[in-house]
Amino acid sequence: MSEFLMYLTNGVVMGVINAISAIGVSLIVGIMKVVNFAHGELYIFAGYFSYHLSVSLGLSPLLAMPLSVFFIFLLGILMERTLIRPTYGDEMYSLIITFVLSIVLQNAALLIFGPYPNKPPNLLSGATNIFGLFHYGNQRLLSFGLSICILLSIFYLIKKTWFGKSVRAISQDRGMASLVGVNHLKINMVSFGLGAALAGTAGVLIAPIFPVTPTGSSAISLTAFVVVVLGGMGSLKGCVIGGLVLGILENMGAAYISTMYRHIFGFIILILVLVFRPWGLFGQKA
Amino acid sequence: MNPKLIEAKGITKSFGGLTAVKKVDFHLDKGEIVGLIGPNGAGKTTLFNLVSGVYPPDEGTILFNGIALSSLKPFEICRLGIGRTFQIVRPFLKMTCLENVLVGIIGRRSKEGNPKEKSEEAREHLKFVGMEGRETVLANDLTLNEKKRLEMARALATQPKVLLLDEVLAGLNPSEILQALELIETIRTKLKVTILWIEHVMGAIMKASDRIIVLDQGEKIREGKPEEIVSDPRVIEAYLGESDA
Amino acid sequence: MVDNMETKKILIPLLFIILAIFPPFFLSQYWLHVMIISLFYVMMASSWNLIAGYTGQVSFAHAAFSGVGAYVSGMLAVNLGTSPWLGILIGATVAALLGLGLGFLCIRMGGIYLSLTTLGFSEILRIIITNEDQWTRGTMGLQVPGFFVEYSKASYYYLFLIVAILFLILIYWIIHSEMGLSFRAVLNDELAASSSGIDTIRVRISAFTISSAMAGMAGGLYGHYLMLITPDIPSLGQMFLVLAMAVIGGMGSFIGPVVGAFGLEILSEYIRIYGEYHVLIFGLVALAVARFAPEGMVGIIKRRWKKGGFS
Repeated sequence: MSEFLMYLTNGVVMGVINAISAIGVSLIVGIMKVVNFAHGELYIFAGYFSYHLSVSLGLSPLLAMPLSVFFIFLLGILMERTLIRPTYGDEMYSLIITFVLSIVLQNAALLIFGPYPNKPPNLLSGATNIFGLFHYGNQRLLSFGLSICILLSIFYLIKKTWFGKSVRAISQDRGMASLVGVNHLKINMVSFGLGAALAGTAGVLIAPIFPVTPTGSSAISLTAFVVVVLGGMGSLKGCVIGGLVLGILENMGAAYISTMYRHIFGFIILILVLVFRPWGLFGQKA
Repeated sequence: MNPKLIEAKGITKSFGGLTAVKKVDFHLDKGEIVGLIGPNGAGKTTLFNLVSGVYPPDEGTILFNGIALSSLKPFEICRLGIGRTFQIVRPFLKMTCLENVLVGIIGRRSKEGNPKEKSEEAREHLKFVGMEGRETVLANDLTLNEKKRLEMARALATQPKVLLLDEVLAGLNPSEILQALELIETIRTKLKVTILWIEHVMGAIMKASDRIIVLDQGEKIREGKPEEIVSDPRVIEAYLGESDA
Repeated sequence: MVDNMETKKILIPLLFIILAIFPPFFLSQYWLHVMIISLFYVMMASSWNLIAGYTGQVSFAHAAFSGVGAYVSGMLAVNLGTSPWLGILIGATVAALLGLGLGFLCIRMGGIYLSLTTLGFSEILRIIITNEDQWTRGTMGLQVPGFFVEYSKASYYYLFLIVAILFLILIYWIIHSEMGLSFRAVLNDELAASSSGIDTIRVRISAFTISSAMAGMAGGLYGHYLMLITPDIPSLGQMFLVLAMAVIGGMGSFIGPVVGAFGLEILSEYIRIYGEYHVLIFGLVALAVARFAPEGMVGIIKRRWKKGGFS
C-alpha cells in the first residue's frame, strides 16, 4: 500500500512539473501558432546551467535555479527575434526551424555538457513521513511546493494582469487584439521567452530529482506535447489536469507494467485523444 | 418544385463573445443577381463563409436545392454547385493561370474528359473572363484586376449554379469596373449562374442587382429593390453611423 | 521553341543517367559506398519533399518509416528466410499502412498535429525497437542477408541507382498529374483549394501514404545493403539529415532534394575527418537557409541564372 502511495505521489509531483512544462508549450502555440520543438532542449539546458552554476561556480542553489531560468528566458527571446519572427504566417517553416534548432541545441548540449547526467545538489535532504503512511523525499516535496506556487503565479498572471489579458486576446483573435492596441510583436517576444522560461523552470525543478541528459530531450518535448493535446490547446486548466493524468499514468505504468515503456503510455494517450476527442479535454472544438 | 435555390433561416454565428451574424433569413431565386451590402463588420463575409462551408452556423439552417449545407465541408459544397471568390483575392500564386483554372475543373471530379480536353476547357474559361493569352503566366505576376478575373475563372470552372462574389470591384478603376459589371451580367445570362455579391461600390451594385439585402451588425435590417433601399432612412443611418466612428 | 524545351527536358536527365553508369569503373570502394548512401538519401529526401515541399506537411516520421521497412524486411529474412527482394516490398507495404493509419488519425486536425504525432511515433518506434531486442537485437543490430549471393558494391550501386531513378520518375509523374496539381493547390492555399472542390484531407492523406511507402522501401534497401539494421535508421538524427538535405537543397523543387542529398552526404565525409560535427554544421546551415533563402540552393542558383540573362 505504501508503495502504491509512493508511486501515486511520484505521479502527482511529476504531474505538476509536467504541467509547468506543458504551459510553456501551450503559451507559444496559443499566441504564435508555433510549436517549439526545441522545448526539451531548453529544459535540459536549464538543468545543466543549474548544475554548473551551483557546483562549478559554487552558487547557492537558491540563486542558481532562478538564474538558470533567467538565462533560458533570454535564450528564448533571442530565438524568437532571430529565427521565429521572420517565419510568421508560415506554419511549415516555423515547425522546420524549431525542429532543426532542437537538433542543433541537442548536439551543442552533447558537445558542451557531455552525455552524462549531472545532478545539481538538493536544497533539502532527507525524507518526511507523510501522514504516517510512507516516507517521501524532501527535495521532491519542495519541488512539488514550488511547482504549485509557480502554477498559481501563472494563473494569476494570465487572468489578472494586463499582459495576461493581452495574451488571451491575441490567442483568440490576433486582428482584433492589434486594433485594441496590443503590441503583438512585443507580446510575442516576451511570450516566447516566457514559454522557454517555463521549460527551464520545469528543468531546474526536475534536475535535483531525476538528472537530465541531452538524449532525453526528445522525450521531454514529447511529454509536454501530449499533455497539451490531452488538455486541449490553449487551455491552462487542461495543462494542469493533463499533466497530472499523464504523470500518474506514466509512473503507475512504469511501476506496475514496464519501466522501459514508460513513454509509450503518453503516446497511447495521444492516439486515444486523436481518435475520440481530438480537441482535448478542455480545448475548443473549432 | 421549390424555385428557391438557396434558403437560409435563422442563421447565427458567434466568435468568442462577438456575434457576427444574428438570426439572418435570406433566400436566392434562380437567375437572380442579389446584392449584399452593409457597413464594415456587418457580417457579410461571415455569411459567405457560412454558405460556402468554411465554418458551420451555431444555429439555423441553410438549404441549397433542398440539401442542408451546415455539416458539409467546403469542397462538398463546391461540388454541389456553389462557387465563390474571396474578399482578399486568393489565387494559387505559385501556379500558372492555366493551372489555377484546371484546379477548378479537377475539383469537379467528373469521370469525363482527358487532360487535353480539360486544358482546352481551362483555356475557354480564361478567354471568357478576358484573360486569353495569359495561360502560362504565374498568378503571382498578375495585376490585381487580372488576379480577380483569374479567381472568377477558377470559380466558373467548377461549374457553379450559384456564385458568391466578395467585393470583386474593390481596387478597380472605373473602366475596369464597367468591364467587371459586363462580365457579371454575362455570367448570369450566358452561363445561367445565380449571383450573390458583396460590394461597397454603391453605384455599381445598385445598378446591377435585382434585389438588395442590407446587413448591419449581424442582422438583416432591410431587403428590397435597389431604388427602395437607396432612400431608406435606416440604411442611410447604418452607413452614416459607420462614417462617424 | 517549345520543342527545344521538351527535348531538353528529356536529354538532360538522360545525360545524367548515362553518366551515372560509369562511377563503378573508376571510383574506389569507399567512394562507391558514399555514392550508394547518397542514393539512399536521394530516395528519402525526395519522398519527404513530396509531402513537405509539395503539400506543406512537415512529417517527422520519415526516418521511422524507413526503419519500419528495414526491420520488417530484416526480421522476415532472419526468422522466415524470406528473400530480401520480397521482404522490401512487404516492408514498404507495412510502412504504407502505418502511414495511412497515422494520416487518418491526425491530418484532419491540421499541420501541427501531424508534426506532433509523427514525432511521437518516431520516438515510440525507436523505444520499441531498442527494447524488444529478442526480435530486433536492439542496439547490437540485426544481421541480415544482402540482395546478391556474391557481394559486389557495383551491383548495389546499380540497384540503388535504378530504384532512385524510378522514385524520381514516380515523383515527377505525380507532381505533373492531376493529383500533383491538387497537391500544389493545397500547398498554395488550402482554403481556396477546398472552395474549388478539392478534398484537401484526402489529398494530404494520399501524399502521406505514398511518401511513407517510399520511405519504407528505401529503408529496406538500405538495411540489406548494410546487412546490419540498427535503431539508428529510424532515429530523429536520420530524420534531421533527410530534412536538412531537402531544405538546403531546395524544398518544393524537383532536383533540390537530389542536390541536397549528394551535397550533404559527400560533405559529411569530409567533415567527419575532424569529428562528428556534421550534424551541428548542417543544422546551422539549414537554419540559415530556412531563414534567409527558403528556396534552397536550387533557388539561389536559379536566381543567379536569371540574373545572368538566360531566362
